[in-house]
Amino acid sequence: MPMEQLSLLFSGWRWQDVLDIVFNAYILFRLYVLFRGTNVLRVLMAVVAMWIIGRSANAMGLVITNWVMQGVITVATFIIILVFRNEISGVVRTRSLGFFLWEIPRTQINTPVRIITDAVVKLAGSKIGALIVMPLKTGVDSIISSGTDINASLSREMLMNIFWPGAPLHDGAAVIQGAKITRAGTILPLSQNRHLASKYGTRHRAALGLTEQSDALVIVVSEERGKVSLVKDNRIDEVRDPDKIEALIKQYTGGPEPAKKMRRQTRELLVAAMVCLLCTTGLWLSFSRGMETLANYDVPIEFMNSDKKMNIIDASASRSRLLISGARPLIKALTLDQMSIKISLDGTALGKNKLAITRQNVQLPPGIRLKNIEPNQVEVTLDVMAEKQVPVQADFSGKLPEDLIMTSISVIPQTVTITGGGLTLDTVTTVFTEKIPLENLTTSGVVNAALVMNPDTLRPDEKDKKVQIRYNIAKRNSNDGTEN
Amino acid sequence: MVTRDNNIQDFNASKSHLGLSRFLIVCELLGFLFIPAGAGLADQPPMILASAVMCERISNFRPVNPAVVFSVSRGEVFCFSEFDPVYEKTAIFHNWYKKDKLIFSMRLVLSVPKWSSFSRVQMRDADKGPWRVEIRDEDNNVLKTLRFSMTD
Repeated sequence: MPMEQLSLLFSGWRWQDVLDIVFNAYILFRLYVLFRGTNVLRVLMAVVAMWIIGRSANAMGLVITNWVMQGVITVATFIIILVFRNEISGVVRTRSLGFFLWEIPRTQINTPVRIITDAVVKLAGSKIGALIVMPLKTGVDSIISSGTDINASLSREMLMNIFWPGAPLHDGAAVIQGAKITRAGTILPLSQNRHLASKYGTRHRAALGLTEQSDALVIVVSEERGKVSLVKDNRIDEVRDPDKIEALIKQYTGGPEPAKKMRRQTRELLVAAMVCLLCTTGLWLSFSRGMETLANYDVPIEFMNSDKKMNIIDASASRSRLLISGARPLIKALTLDQMSIKISLDGTALGKNKLAITRQNVQLPPGIRLKNIEPNQVEVTLDVMAEKQVPVQADFSGKLPEDLIMTSISVIPQTVTITGGGLTLDTVTTVFTEKIPLENLTTSGVVNAALVMNPDTLRPDEKDKKVQIRYNIAKRNSNDGTEN
Repeated sequence: MVTRDNNIQDFNASKSHLGLSRFLIVCELLGFLFIPAGAGLADQPPMILASAVMCERISNFRPVNPAVVFSVSRGEVFCFSEFDPVYEKTAIFHNWYKKDKLIFSMRLVLSVPKWSSFSRVQMRDADKGPWRVEIRDEDNNVLKTLRFSMTD
């Protein structure tokens, strides 16, 4: 049964469904691109999570949870607009139309190596001693526990301030993790290396001491010489060129190169796009497959492959009522021209034929299932075309004045040729005119009248569509006699 | 001589001619015995339809006010048929049709030498419309069709 439901879930896809999903996934993806990096996105994620909980609760029959989730989502939507109105308006105001529709911004969201480089170059220029620790994979928490927690955003000014002579934390090392200065004034373990050049002071020995015990990168700014040294894996590199400092930091910290950054962003965007696609597909399935409904449609019956000589002169039903089921949106979007009942007349014979209407005769759009057909049988009468000469009879209505009688009539022509189904023609012995009113007839004369074909599948000759009726009217003989 | 001979010859010839005539008469008489009775009348109908009309009444064995349109308010309509001559006793049918539906059929016996007969129907509001009466013989041959209308 679950396999059957699963196959039902993924059966009957239309190209419109795919377009529907892709289009809405793209809208979702654009929203992500617009609001990524802002708090709005996080709140939106929360709303989506609540919606999923609500839908799940609905599926499980948790009425109140579903009701609460719906309420929360409604309120949250208003709250998002109110609370984040500045952020939203900022996004809307600062973005171009192209950004809304197709552009993908490449943002710098990695560790700001340039800030660190700028700061150390500036500190070196001012001959302000500095010791900056950048922990890598192994971390340094087990080695250095002293110092003061800061957790400040990384900026050149903040670094200058920490190492400014006389500042309370200027004597220790500052720890930078990601884009934050997590700690300052920390004491690093000193290296016991006896072969360290004499030009290096305590800062270099401390830096070397830490790198001996960890994979951290330590940047040292010499107070005396105003030189920048990068210490990594027991090795001290003195660097003067700011660009080289930046390149070495990136190299040591494994910071992404521009190409790598691009790849990473591309990967991130691809993942986001996939998530959007999956969410939209889930949403679509939830809507389209989750809300099954039934509907009745009276669909015309079409007869196919008819022998050209034979004509359908009668059918017990021209329509059949189809009971169908499917997702509510699909059923609502359904029109009669998307459904058809086609019955082949192959193998039928002259006269009455009983034909069954089966599922094979019914064409429905994908995603719509047939439950019942009523009637499921149709009786078709087939006939070959033939001609017959039949007499014409005038059909009078109304009343002649009491003193007049119509003594005789002659119809011209007396007979007409009619064309129609042979079986029908067998039953026709007379063709009648339309009603000819008697009220205005007081003297003999001539009147023209059209022929009425019954059944209306019969056709008279073009020249015989109207006939002429000559009638004679006389005074009534009022002499009473004895009936015999 | 010649003449006598001729006479003798004539006598012999007339004698043989007489025998042939007698033989033929006998054959004819025998032949008549095998001819079925009435074979000579095979193509002749047993009666001839002299006239037939629809009428409002019958008076003194004659139709009164022959017509083709009858008001239902008059109550009745008659089909009168006159056969002259009637060669033998036979029967005919008056078949009354409303449109193409047979409503009523009446068998009427005809007697020699001539005979008139009629049938009639009561007219009601529901009967309004085109009617016809087919006069048919016993072999179901249509002798005549009379067409008329029942109106208001």
